[in-house]
Amino acid sequence: MSTVIRDNLRILRCAFVSAFADMRATYTWRTWTFAWLVRILCQVTLFAFIGKLIGNPATTEYLVVGNSVFITADIVMMVCATTSWERMAGTLPLLIGAPASPFVVFAGRSVQWLVDGLACSTVSLMLLAPVLGVHLPFSAVLLAVPMVALISLSVYAFGLVLAGLALRVMSARNIIGRLGSILLMVLTGVQVPVDFWPAPLRVVAQFLPLTHGLEAVRTVLHGGSGGTVLKGLGLEIAVGFGWSLVAVYTYWRLVASGRKDGSIEFGG
Amino acid sequence: MTGLFWAAVRFQAQSLRRSPEYLMSLVTIPALTIAFLAIVRNSGRDDLVPYAVLGAALMTVWATALYVCGELIESERYGGTLEGLLAAPAPFSVLIIARISLVTVVSFLGLAESGLIAWLLFGVTIPVPHPGLLLLTLLCTAFAMVGTSSIMSALFVLARSARIFQNSLSYPFYLLGGLVVPVALLPGWLQPVSRVIFLSWTADLLRDCLRVESPADAVPRLAVIVGLGVLAFAAGLTMSRAILRRIRQNGSVGYA
Repeated sequence: MSTVIRDNLRILRCAFVSAFADMRATYTWRTWTFAWLVRILCQVTLFAFIGKLIGNPATTEYLVVGNSVFITADIVMMVCATTSWERMAGTLPLLIGAPASPFVVFAGRSVQWLVDGLACSTVSLMLLAPVLGVHLPFSAVLLAVPMVALISLSVYAFGLVLAGLALRVMSARNIIGRLGSILLMVLTGVQVPVDFWPAPLRVVAQFLPLTHGLEAVRTVLHGGSGGTVLKGLGLEIAVGFGWSLVAVYTYWRLVASGRKDGSIEFGG
Repeated sequence: MTGLFWAAVRFQAQSLRRSPEYLMSLVTIPALTIAFLAIVRNSGRDDLVPYAVLGAALMTVWATALYVCGELIESERYGGTLEGLLAAPAPFSVLIIARISLVTVVSFLGLAESGLIAWLLFGVTIPVPHPGLLLLTLLCTAFAMVGTSSIMSALFVLARSARIFQNSLSYPFYLLGGLVVPVALLPGWLQPVSRVIFLSWTADLLRDCLRVESPADAVPRLAVIVGLGVLAFAAGLTMSRAILRRIRQNGSVGYA
């Protein structure tokens, strides 16, 4: 048992190395800071200005907090693209042929987005929000950072499920990731409270990552009760765990069906 | 030259059938209409519905051009055909402009999509009191968009990874172009920057086309959009020539 855990941890570490090598190949610190981070902060700023256009400071604050937290989810959803790159690079048959579970590799292969997303959200909450006239208590923002990290993990599990689908329909890999991201942006309380939507959509939102975690972050920033915060975080963990199980099953099915119909090399 | 242009347009039309991901923004960005409309509806500001619909539509046009510029260069580079295209006697910039033109024209369907989403999901219809001017503005915008794309495609040839620019030039331009929020609301020091971006003139004029009162100074404003488009074409062609000369000289076409 301990050998299995040790082997999987070793594979996970190698996947992490690969993920960060990908990140370094994509960005230098200059392009990350002056191109990528600026683009992300402009996304939050655009929604903040919609709040200003509406003319209600409470709406502006709601949008700044929602979108600052959402950008971590938006970035993490790039797991769909990076997972599908394995099939494009022709490495999927090797991963499936290897004695280790491909899921472990895929679970670690896109973690660069977790770090990227958390960094962008933190900068947005700490530095951009005051610039936009939204003054959040600094101690509360510090508390919110690990909560955002937790949210990004549950979104990652959701993203891994969509990435598993994208591996089957490679031509739609980018669309699947973007639509997944927009679904989270619309339904989980980022732009408007979940209560705004009709009842069936409110039910869907309860099973999506971000919904409960974002609610907990808003509660912390408004000095709400610890019990409410813990309940939100507990639900976020439960939702993330649920999506993780679905992700494990998705990759197991991908491998099993690929072996059966010979589509591992040429599928998607 | 005209024959080459239309041949490239036909080629791109065939590519679109086989690679619909060129039009990915037509699927994803109009969905942002839902987010924008939810915000204005939740705030009880139905008067801002046209801002939401037009904003998402213009975002679609810009995002499509950005995606296509990057993808065209990346796919030719990935397929190893970029060197061949540059070595051929046909001017590379005409090929690229023709291919971008087609996709840009198709991307204006985003306007219809956003309107449809507003109607189907929120029961909102947007009257157009000045349809002629709206159409004219869209035509001038398409021209300026293709001109601006020629600058982007030239830069993407030079870039190690066009995707960095592809990913980074979206929201800064949505904001500076006043696509959803008018430039007048931006900080004063940013407004002069916005005014050299044709999208800011387009967005303002399109919003005016949806008001009952006649838009003021429509002709000069259209002229500014066209003028900025002409400048963009000139800059794009000049940059394209300089960049192509440079990468031919240092042998870095495939791996700029």
